[in-house]
Amino acid sequence: MTTNGKDHAALADEFNKDEPRVNWHDETLWWVRQKRDKAAHNVPEWELLRDTASRIKDNVLSHLSEYLIQFEAMAVSNGITIHWAADAEEHNNIILSILRRHRIDKMVKSKSMLTEECHLNEFLEQQGVDVVDTDLGERVVQLAGEPPSHIVLPCIHKKKEEIGEIFHEHLGTPAGNADPQFLTHAARLHLREKFLTRRVALTGVNFAVAETGEFVVCTNEGNADMGAHLADVHIACMGIEKLIPQRKHLGVFLRLLARSATGQPITTYSSHFKKPRPGQEMHIVLVDNGRSVHLGRADFRNSLKCIRCAACFNTCPVYRRSGGHSYHTAVAGPIGSILAPNLDRKKYSDLPFASTLCGSCSNVCPVKIDIHEQLYKWRQVIVQEGHAPLAKKAAMKTMTWVLSNPSVYHTAGKTGRWFMLNVPFTVNNGFNPWYRQRDMPVSPAESFGEWYKKNKK
Amino acid sequence: MSSRDKILAAVKNNQPGPRALPSLPGEDTAAHTGTVDLSSAFVSVLEAIGGSAYTVSGFDRIATILHELHPRAGRVITGCPELAALGEYGEKYADPHTLEDVGLAILSAHFGVAENGACWITEDRMIGRALPFIAQHLALVIRRQNIVPNMHVAYERIAELEAGAAGGNVAGGDSTGGFATFIAGPSKTADIEQSLVLGAHGPRSLIVFLIDEELSDAGFY
Repeated sequence: MTTNGKDHAALADEFNKDEPRVNWHDETLWWVRQKRDKAAHNVPEWELLRDTASRIKDNVLSHLSEYLIQFEAMAVSNGITIHWAADAEEHNNIILSILRRHRIDKMVKSKSMLTEECHLNEFLEQQGVDVVDTDLGERVVQLAGEPPSHIVLPCIHKKKEEIGEIFHEHLGTPAGNADPQFLTHAARLHLREKFLTRRVALTGVNFAVAETGEFVVCTNEGNADMGAHLADVHIACMGIEKLIPQRKHLGVFLRLLARSATGQPITTYSSHFKKPRPGQEMHIVLVDNGRSVHLGRADFRNSLKCIRCAACFNTCPVYRRSGGHSYHTAVAGPIGSILAPNLDRKKYSDLPFASTLCGSCSNVCPVKIDIHEQLYKWRQVIVQEGHAPLAKKAAMKTMTWVLSNPSVYHTAGKTGRWFMLNVPFTVNNGFNPWYRQRDMPVSPAESFGEWYKKNKK
Repeated sequence: MSSRDKILAAVKNNQPGPRALPSLPGEDTAAHTGTVDLSSAFVSVLEAIGGSAYTVSGFDRIATILHELHPRAGRVITGCPELAALGEYGEKYADPHTLEDVGLAILSAHFGVAENGACWITEDRMIGRALPFIAQHLALVIRRQNIVPNMHVAYERIAELEAGAAGGNVAGGDSTGGFATFIAGPSKTADIEQSLVLGAHGPRSLIVFLIDEELSDAGFY
């Protein structure tokens, strides 16, 4: 991603330059959050479901090595080839070797955040392989040369007029046509041709069942199925944490996933892949890429329960107003901010600070990950390890000094109020970054402490 | 050491102490007891997600309705012997690409789920795995009494179906099947500014027929 080394705050600043767009982005995602609420409230046992899902995942994490072995054995007996990738590089090379063995240089791909995490598309392009993302939103951002900004709604940051432009340029739709119905139909025709001519299809995995060796892929568009059922070779890529113990546990997760993601009662398709069709090759790539290390961190391992619904994105006041690209990582939002530091503490040291710690993310999480608590814990780890920016460290030290000295605190408050009331331009000016996208309320004439002293009887 | 062994060793070393599996919420949860009319719940959810439903007395009625809804369906493939007159029936398609121009597929599903409007269909009823996805329009047929309240009961039903199949109730050697799916409504997307569009890559419409033999035809059409 071309972030030029900028951190979340700097990237959010850029996003915030266009205030009407920020408001639109904010409202669109809040609308999705409201749909989620409606769907959740329709299920009387919703809280029981969340609790059950969280406890199933506790069991998965505590027996992960056994479940992985069981899953592998079952999948192999079903005729699926299993690959193990320790990191992104190995994952990418496994995909390439399968393509090379079949002498294929074109493939279709449905949504897989794992391949975004591994930067598979860039890698394959360098190797001369043409990858077509088939999820509509992913195709839009792919044509625009951007990464997805949201794990469920990849082009949520784009206006329909911009998508019309992109389709005009790449698919030859008439200039100026921005009708979603029309553009979707154009994409349907464009991608149908790809489905029919590609011999390899790559999909992600929503859930993999240790008991049966099958995996489940959920889509609304049907793109994973169109790709997989028309291809000679189906490659499914999954992080090792996607396992669940038994098939009946799918009942719990499928009830939670779409309701949490978009407010739908279930995705249009929940496809259970168990064996390749006659004559087809099926591969599963099991990817670690830092997950086994993360599993050992008691404070942070719960984040491996994530089912990638993005409910925490849609509810987050910071995500909604800073946009997915400001997180400069494949999985943005609150969950991405607690997953990314595991992979690279220095590069992603800014992300745990991209939060108000309001806790809304934890409240909507269908598997009850303590997201905001982990954000707070990561901040402590990052500061202790010395990854916090100098300005933040200095500000924190000053604040500690002020807050631990009552007389300093009172004087500082009084001084601040005097400046705000009498000479606000000395504070609210171009040199103070706090004011760039903010308006401050009018400062009161006296503090609560002063008021209390006067009025207590 | 292979990546497999390295990963498994690291996972084993880092996984926390054993945690027991919880029991699952079952069919006895409040809203899903026998007092609710499951088929009307199913129909209203299905309509809310862009599908449509018809409760019919039998296959004659299905043929009439399909003829009216899709007079120019083009190529029709069905998995229901009772509807063989409507199009291709009983043929095998080794190459899924030959299904490219199917206008309407009519398939028999196992059961519906009231809470989300989904139907469960296994590979042996799809004719080709690609068919329910590549057809321009899809019609699924279930028995009206085959509607389960929620996904927990759905997976109990799937286990029963597999046990039945393994017991030899289904023709053909491969009883468990290699592919199955829940289908809930037509293919759709809202990726462009959250505007809902039906017919993303798969069928543009989905009709579910609920057969109830005790129903009289009087009053229909």
